[in-house]
Amino acid sequence: MTGYRQEWMSHRSRVQFAELLKVQSKLALREPLALFGGLVLPAILLAVFGFIGQANPGNVGDTGLTIIDLWTPTILVLSFIFISVSLPNTLVRDREIGWLRRVSTTPLHPSRLLAAQLVIDLILAAAAVLIVILEGALVFGASLHVQILPFAVSLLLSIVELFTLGLVLVALVPTQSVAQPVAGVVTFGLMFLSGLWVNPAQMGDPLRTIMYYSPSGAAVKAVLDSAFNGGLSYAALVTMAVYTVIFGFIAIRYFRWE
Amino acid sequence: MSAAAAVTVQHLVKKYGRLVAVNDVSLSIHEGEIFGIIGPNGAGKTTTVECISGLRAPDSGSISVYGLSPQKDRNAIREFVGVQLQESALPPRIKVGEAVKLFASFYSNPLDPDQLLESLGIEQIVKSSFKNLSGGQKQRVSIALALVGNPKLAVLDELTTGLDPEARREIWSLIERMRERGVTVILVTHFMDEAERLCDRLALINHGAVRALDTPEAIAAKAGGSRVRFVPSQPVDEQTLRAIPGVNEIERKERYVTVTGTGDLAGSLLNALAAIGVRVSEVEARAGNLEDAFIKLTKDDASSVGKGVQT
Repeated sequence: MTGYRQEWMSHRSRVQFAELLKVQSKLALREPLALFGGLVLPAILLAVFGFIGQANPGNVGDTGLTIIDLWTPTILVLSFIFISVSLPNTLVRDREIGWLRRVSTTPLHPSRLLAAQLVIDLILAAAAVLIVILEGALVFGASLHVQILPFAVSLLLSIVELFTLGLVLVALVPTQSVAQPVAGVVTFGLMFLSGLWVNPAQMGDPLRTIMYYSPSGAAVKAVLDSAFNGGLSYAALVTMAVYTVIFGFIAIRYFRWE
Repeated sequence: MSAAAAVTVQHLVKKYGRLVAVNDVSLSIHEGEIFGIIGPNGAGKTTTVECISGLRAPDSGSISVYGLSPQKDRNAIREFVGVQLQESALPPRIKVGEAVKLFASFYSNPLDPDQLLESLGIEQIVKSSFKNLSGGQKQRVSIALALVGNPKLAVLDELTTGLDPEARREIWSLIERMRERGVTVILVTHFMDEAERLCDRLALINHGAVRALDTPEAIAAKAGGSRVRFVPSQPVDEQTLRAIPGVNEIERKERYVTVTGTGDLAGSLLNALAAIGVRVSEVEARAGNLEDAFIKLTKDDASSVGKGVQT
């Protein structure tokens, strides 16, 4: 791998990557699963909770937060989950049909294809953050007292952790037909643990602890604390970091290009 | 045509677990020729070209592609070797023009995508999605991707499998035009007519080893043999026929005698029979063809132990 960095920086590499990004984005627009799950669905969900909040003003239990406050972080994390579980949909398919192998016969390493996909999904996640925050604050009056740095760190780590989980699915799932049900089950589990249906703040132990230390629950906790308590939730951040390392190890260990 | 070697394979061995896919293959491919690799399913054809393309690492033996090693000089090799893989598809919604332009961006000295598509006769499908193409169009796109990097060597695996006769003929003329442009082509096929029509030289691989390596005509003549069927004016005994140069097999059915063999079989047979006063009628002579050679050479192997694997 010597000279890889040099190659990465070269003009030609940038031209290659730009072309790759262009084509991959077009494909992402034509197969808008990530786009729908990452942007449209969260916007709709937020609106649902926004209207519920308007119908039920005041704080939820003793949390000191309104419904829209409490659910905005959950919906952000849901958006990351949807984008993440769409990774196997395209990448497993591309591997299954031999496209990754086909690319590997050219001077371009197929890892660039993966990189381009992740860049596009990062952009999607960033757009989701913007949309959800703006919609929550402007339309439904969520009272975000955000400290930028802890908030950004919590969001970024959530994205990295959940995307790495998506790559685990890409690594382990053999075919696209298996990818869809597996992604469905994983999505459902992550949605539940994130607190979409039952908020951990209102739950007793042990469910609350399980949710707080799950991949999606920790993400929601970190984002929630950084948004409303104005600080870093170290337990949640460390939990996510540990998951990221474990997921990263599994993804790298089992990843196949063909 | 230059006789310089574009590809040299020496004592190539590749195993998948305990299965020996390629067992001591050696061959040399000249610059600018269309070199065919034929053989039954699971003979080791695909594995051989995958090793040449650098997609698989040989267990032993050496491969040189224009003086470089496909394993050690992976990056350099990829610049000038275009590969069309067996059963490799494109993302269903990618457009033909996008795919070819994308691949062009991977290479340092690519062909112009538009001109290439035009020369392949598929300029009208530039805006079509891959999933909407016919089998022949998909194969042409696949060829376009193999050629857009302006390769010195193109490896084409099972190019016309599943195509209708018309599409096959069009693909054939495309490959002939590649030779005119000086591209060295390795063509893996199990169609004998394809090999006979296109290839300058052929390697017949069976059970992971080279069984024959020559021009299609030479392989056909040597192994396939010509066949002469006739009705003799009087019975001819087996010994007399066997003594005639080139005669290998004799078969009798009703009045007919069918002799297969090599060389100028019909000539020597008729002369020899005339010399002993036997007249012949209803003569039917057929030159040996590749298909006969293929069946004979692979049948010879069937009696020995088979250990090929399809990859």
